[in-house]
Amino acid sequence: MKKNFRKYSILILTVCMGLQACDKGFEEMNTNPNASATPTPAFVFTKALLDGSGDVLNLLQGTMQYTTSYNDVAGFGAKYILSQSQQSWTVFNNAYPKEINEIQQVIGQVSGSPDQVNLLSCARIWRIYCFSRVTDLYGDVPYSQAGKGFESANYKPVYDPQQAIYADMLKELDEAAAAIDPTKANFGAADLIYNGDMAKWKKFSYSLMLRLAMRMTKADIALAETWAKKAIAGGVITVDADVAKVSGYVSAGQDINKNPLALAMLNSDYIGANGSSNPEGGKFQDVFINYLKTNKDPRLGVLSVVWVGGKADTTAATQKGMSSSLSSKPANFVTYSEPNPATILQLNSPYLLLTNAETSFLLAEAALRGWYSGASASASYVNGISASMRQWSLFGAGGTISDNQIQTYIKYHSLNTAGTFASQMEQIYTQFWVGVYPNSQEVFASYRRTGYPALVPNNYVGNATGGKIFRRFLYPATEQNLNGENYQATIARQGPDEFLTRMWWDRP
Amino acid sequence: MTNKSLSFHLLCKALVKIIIFTVIFSVCFTITQAKNISAQDLKTRISLRVVNMPVKDVLRQINKETKISFVFSNSIVTNQEVSLDVKNEQLGLVLKKIFEPLGMDYSISGNVILIDKKVTTPTEITSQKVAPIKVSGKVIDNAGAALIGVSVKIKGSSSGTVTDVDGHYALTVPDENATLIFSYMGFVTQEVAIGGRPVVNVQLVENRNSLNEVVVTALGISRQKKALAYSVTEVKGEEFTQARENNVANALTGKVAGVNATGLSTGPGGSSRVIIRGNGSLSGGNQPLYVVNGMPIDNSVPGGSATTNGSAGNVDRGDGIAGINPDDIESISVLKGGTAAALYGARAANGVILITTKKGRIQKGIGIDYNSTFTMETPAVFPDWQYEYGQGDGGVKPTTQAEAIQTGRRSFGAKIDGSTYVAADGLEHPYSAQRNNIKNFYRTGSTFTNTVAFTGGTEAITYRFSVADLNSKSVLPNSDYDRKTGNLNVSGKLGKKVSFEALAQYNIERAKNRATAGDALGNPNWTPYMIANTADITWLKPGYDAKGNEIGWNDASIASNSYFVVNKFQQRDTKNRFIGQAGVTYEFIKNLSLKGVVSRDFYYYNYNYILPTGTLYVPNGQYNELKVDASETNGLLTLNYNGKIKDFGISAFVGGNQQRSVYNESNITGANYIIPYFYSSTNLSTVSTTPKNNQTAINSLMGSADISYKNFAYLTVTGRQDWFSTLSPQNNSIFYPSVGGSFVLSEAFKLPQAVSYAKIRASWAQVGGGAPDPYQIHQAFTMLPTSGQPIQNVSSTTISNANLRPYTSTTTEAGIEARFLNNRLGFDITLYNRKTTDDIVSTAITGTSGYNNVILNVGELSNKGIEALVNGTPIKTKDFTWSTSYNIAYNKNEVVKLAAGLDQIQVSQSVNGWAYINNIVGQPYGSIVGTRMMKDANGNVVFNATTGLPVATGLQTLGNGVAPLTMGFSNDFKYKRFSLNVLVDGKFGNKIFSLMEVYGTRLGLMKTTLPGRENGLQLTGVDQSGNPYSRVVPISGLRSYYDNYKSYSELFLHDAGFVKLRQVILSYSIPVEKLKAVNLQGASIAFVARNLLTIYKQTDNFDPESSFTNGSSQGFESFGLPRTRSFGLNLTVKF
Repeated sequence: MKKNFRKYSILILTVCMGLQACDKGFEEMNTNPNASATPTPAFVFTKALLDGSGDVLNLLQGTMQYTTSYNDVAGFGAKYILSQSQQSWTVFNNAYPKEINEIQQVIGQVSGSPDQVNLLSCARIWRIYCFSRVTDLYGDVPYSQAGKGFESANYKPVYDPQQAIYADMLKELDEAAAAIDPTKANFGAADLIYNGDMAKWKKFSYSLMLRLAMRMTKADIALAETWAKKAIAGGVITVDADVAKVSGYVSAGQDINKNPLALAMLNSDYIGANGSSNPEGGKFQDVFINYLKTNKDPRLGVLSVVWVGGKADTTAATQKGMSSSLSSKPANFVTYSEPNPATILQLNSPYLLLTNAETSFLLAEAALRGWYSGASASASYVNGISASMRQWSLFGAGGTISDNQIQTYIKYHSLNTAGTFASQMEQIYTQFWVGVYPNSQEVFASYRRTGYPALVPNNYVGNATGGKIFRRFLYPATEQNLNGENYQATIARQGPDEFLTRMWWDRP
Repeated sequence: MTNKSLSFHLLCKALVKIIIFTVIFSVCFTITQAKNISAQDLKTRISLRVVNMPVKDVLRQINKETKISFVFSNSIVTNQEVSLDVKNEQLGLVLKKIFEPLGMDYSISGNVILIDKKVTTPTEITSQKVAPIKVSGKVIDNAGAALIGVSVKIKGSSSGTVTDVDGHYALTVPDENATLIFSYMGFVTQEVAIGGRPVVNVQLVENRNSLNEVVVTALGISRQKKALAYSVTEVKGEEFTQARENNVANALTGKVAGVNATGLSTGPGGSSRVIIRGNGSLSGGNQPLYVVNGMPIDNSVPGGSATTNGSAGNVDRGDGIAGINPDDIESISVLKGGTAAALYGARAANGVILITTKKGRIQKGIGIDYNSTFTMETPAVFPDWQYEYGQGDGGVKPTTQAEAIQTGRRSFGAKIDGSTYVAADGLEHPYSAQRNNIKNFYRTGSTFTNTVAFTGGTEAITYRFSVADLNSKSVLPNSDYDRKTGNLNVSGKLGKKVSFEALAQYNIERAKNRATAGDALGNPNWTPYMIANTADITWLKPGYDAKGNEIGWNDASIASNSYFVVNKFQQRDTKNRFIGQAGVTYEFIKNLSLKGVVSRDFYYYNYNYILPTGTLYVPNGQYNELKVDASETNGLLTLNYNGKIKDFGISAFVGGNQQRSVYNESNITGANYIIPYFYSSTNLSTVSTTPKNNQTAINSLMGSADISYKNFAYLTVTGRQDWFSTLSPQNNSIFYPSVGGSFVLSEAFKLPQAVSYAKIRASWAQVGGGAPDPYQIHQAFTMLPTSGQPIQNVSSTTISNANLRPYTSTTTEAGIEARFLNNRLGFDITLYNRKTTDDIVSTAITGTSGYNNVILNVGELSNKGIEALVNGTPIKTKDFTWSTSYNIAYNKNEVVKLAAGLDQIQVSQSVNGWAYINNIVGQPYGSIVGTRMMKDANGNVVFNATTGLPVATGLQTLGNGVAPLTMGFSNDFKYKRFSLNVLVDGKFGNKIFSLMEVYGTRLGLMKTTLPGRENGLQLTGVDQSGNPYSRVVPISGLRSYYDNYKSYSELFLHDAGFVKLRQVILSYSIPVEKLKAVNLQGASIAFVARNLLTIYKQTDNFDPESSFTNGSSQGFESFGLPRTRSFGLNLTVKF
């Protein structure tokens, strides 16, 4: 038997060699045939640009009283209904695993190589753009340790105080802009914002710095002044050609290649293009439409239509906004204004990030404060209005506003330089409200900082705020579950995780 | 050293380990009785060396070697022992050597060798005066099949005969008062008085309690149950064929201690979730490995299990076990212990369900079995909504169609008074309670199953071929499922040394409009539950207008009109599946054989989901197409040795197995049909295709040795080394051993008469496992579909981990089994302790890390439990028998530890995050986590003065979603030709969170929303500073107030314990002997019913068994199909 056993052990051994060594080919088998082992920085950069522009936050259009819905779910932004609070989690949930992780991947790939300094600068600037949007909505958020799950196995990043985040963001913009070297390589076509024009990236960086600097006027005016002056000295966007916008969107194809705001609005309400079948019950709000009508604003017909007999009517007199106090579909629903399919709903229109209009209004405020002497507050104010009117031509022929129309409007809407500081601020930031539309997030930030435009909050039944416009978004409830200790520490520092808690730059 | 030689070196090391292992514990043998009986040449040469071995065992050994069957009476061959040493001698001579000294002789009779006392002087029986008569008849088994080779003896005499291939016998008895004794291995011996009858037909009853009960164990090896060191439960195939479940795994519910089987509320063609001895893995699959005839099959759900948060198209597409036809099943063995599983490796860590399919048998002509079942099913559980206040809002009923649509799903209206109101259809209706929306919407479902099986065979080859058709209409209108199965089993001998067995099964499974679950979007179960309580759902018929567009019925377009969903949504899927196995055994020399088996389970799956043009929430429609081809291939080669040295029996094998799994998926998603109402992937303005190509492999070497001493002591040792393709080369291998023993007290010692059988057993086993999914060790980057510049991102939001190593599951178990009073009463108790360490877990982490999950070797999970089975036959008379069986199992599960710095991991969350399933250190697997309404120390509700609403606590552990205590109680009554089976089962100790109740509260259907309807709701409590707080919620604010209740998860949490009357079968065995015209061997007809009655439950509005996924999200109810009861008829005929 022993002999047999030996004999057959050898047999089994031979059989095993038939298995060709017990893990041969396993590494190859365990390699995903549909993925590559290393990233291509340009491709990931493009993805980060698209994702970072994609969190369009339709709900803030409601909060800033541009739009509304009779439906409670879609009407959350305009009504602050407690039951829909979780809608405020989305940016937090989306930004980190997408654009923030992606842009940090790019930074990891292009760092440490002097030849790639421009690529690094673009990535650093975009990273700050993405982070600033997150912190401006939530306050203290993971920043210094964020997005490091793979790199350093940090699965529970701390929440950094917003003040510290701002300090670092400003430093980053400064360094990134300074490092730009036009003689070195750039992202080229992968750069959907400037197609590799590094001089313009420099302007974008300083304009972003100006935006963030002005954000601090309530919290630390001296610091605001320092950084605003630095930004202006560096050179901000002052001409239409320098506007920061994501281009290259298409009207048919993959969703990621469509203007995210237009796509979101079409999908939620306007794809039927008939004014009545809007699934989420969306329309322009009366506050916005009434303001445009009262001021005979040429942008009214550019932005807004009423469907009459199946046709989109842009006549000013026909336009009518819907009240945000409705709780059921009104019988005359079709007669209310909604976004113009020829302009703002164009899927191939660019997505505006930071415009000449915005910097002009910020410069107007800087001039008012005496931090800027390149132009008068009044001149910058007018520049803001006219730039904003001109920029609608980017949305197609339907968006063209003639010079004549612009001049007429300006004639009746000059800055009252004899008024108080407050009244001039009100004028600037009310025009800002109209002028940087549809960038409702930026308007939401300046509203919180300046108090303008003087919107009347909606005291809707079941609202979460006691009838006040909220001051921040809520952290996702999963944070209590997944990063509980850091979450609790943040609440202890910043205040309860509620809509009315004020973040660092918003403290009165 | 090159890579190749390095791995060869590793291989040799492993092999040496196994060989040493096997040699130390030596090689072994257990008796496997072959029932094949055939006439053989007495000149067959055999070798035999035995010392003081019982004659019966010697015969068994000869039978084993030669396949020649012996028949004897237990009164003649008792416990005589023989010693013998022959080499290559003729069988006839050997038998003479054995029997002559014992005063016995042998004779060939038909196909068998009959052992009897030596007939000394025939003249001694001349004193008989009465005339001898001729008696003949047929012997059949319980199922009516002819028994071949049954020994038929005349009592008090030594003469007799055996039955032929048709089960017939004929003999001459001395007088009409003679008694015949029918005996047959594995059956209860029966004595029948002739009473002058010329024809005596007999049905023998299988002896399930017999000491030599043989069960199928790992790798398809049959072993005596008494030799097993672990708990194994075998369920016979016929238990699944009368009262049927479409998915045979669901039929295990309540039948086996420690097996927690749950049918899902997803309709016909749905999956099952089977958990053996608790959840052993924190996030991986916890379901057992399914094995058919010794080889694993695929149990995947194409496209993955349904998720809690999914919307339209989030369906349960059915698992692999759902494709097995119960009629093809001979038996199912549930291997719960690690020792049993150790030979199957990693995937058996959660237990093994072994399915042995029916085989052909040697017989004259072709045997035909026909089984037909028709059942009907109706919803059995209805929500207990409030019917005091009707449709409307703010205490006001709708007066216009617009208002009615606005409040279509709100029951916050006026007091129901029978007055008229305008409903969502624009017509006037009485404002009266509509209690029958569930009954009105769902239809009576039906399932019609037909199976025909042909069996036959000769010495050289036996076969069984069956075809089956299952046609099921769901209770959900326009939804059905059809399964066609063809199954062929062939086995035989190719000459003296080579035998083979082959199996082929082909399935075509088609389903139409499987029900979705989860959120409201496209979920057909939403409207019947959520429609306002004064509206009749049939008013919403047909759900679409003249153009085919959805007609709205409520304020939210995502809450689809269910009639539109069932009439216009289109879901179709087809699975073509082939399972093939072929095995060849070559016997080199006596006791040593080489066996090779190859098996492949392959399916091709095609799924189409069409969300049509005109759907309110996606007006231009959506499209999804899923194509999957998946296969599991196994090759197994074993060298087997069986032998006996003196009192020691040895059986051993060493072998190797190669396993390959391939899963290829192509997922086409798109939106916006360019031409409306034309549904094709060519007609989409946005479309993208995502490929998935997964390949995994496990290579294994293994060895096993079973040693028996006499008839009472048994030892089993196994070892296995696995290599996993899913792990890094430096960490991809693990060796794990097992050892177990059993000791049959009743054979070793003389126990009191009352004890018929007693055995103790114990075992310890380890099983190692690799990562289930490939590509998790290195980060990779994927190109995405784009219409512009190329884009790329990280392939997965799960962080990869290059250091993953195999996990280990260790089980220790001990048990005692005993039977008393001539096997009338028995029990079997098992204690076990199962521990999983280094579990590979995909752990949810905060998105701020840049990822949503990380795959880690974290933690330790412990399952400790006790299983008890008591069975007995309280009444046993000639005509009436009552046998009963009760099983109960308690499993204590604990998450012992997780990765450093982690005290809990999130497994899943409900729609909108209203509740979570977490695994928390110190708690059992699957904690339901959510919020409570905050109360102060005095029990006052704490209000937020700003919002006027109760404050919600942070997330807290609310309960556990998995039942720790399960039981089943089965009773069989037999009266003459009638038999009645009643199965009651229950589960206790778990909780369930109801999404339906969240919405029922938000929409005013729950009785808990009644306070305040008349005069407003008075709230009293304290504010967050502790000062008294009170306010009145006006009637107009009630909806918003109750809507906010969703912030307090605890309000929707219920005890999910239940006791159900699971199954009733009343069957009648038709006396086929009397039907001379047709040549029937047996027939029975039965009334069958499943899920007849819920005897106990704590959930008012839904069935506590309401899971909608076989994934790990257990503990959520989420708008699945209503629980149904089914009843029907079953007919079985054998020709």
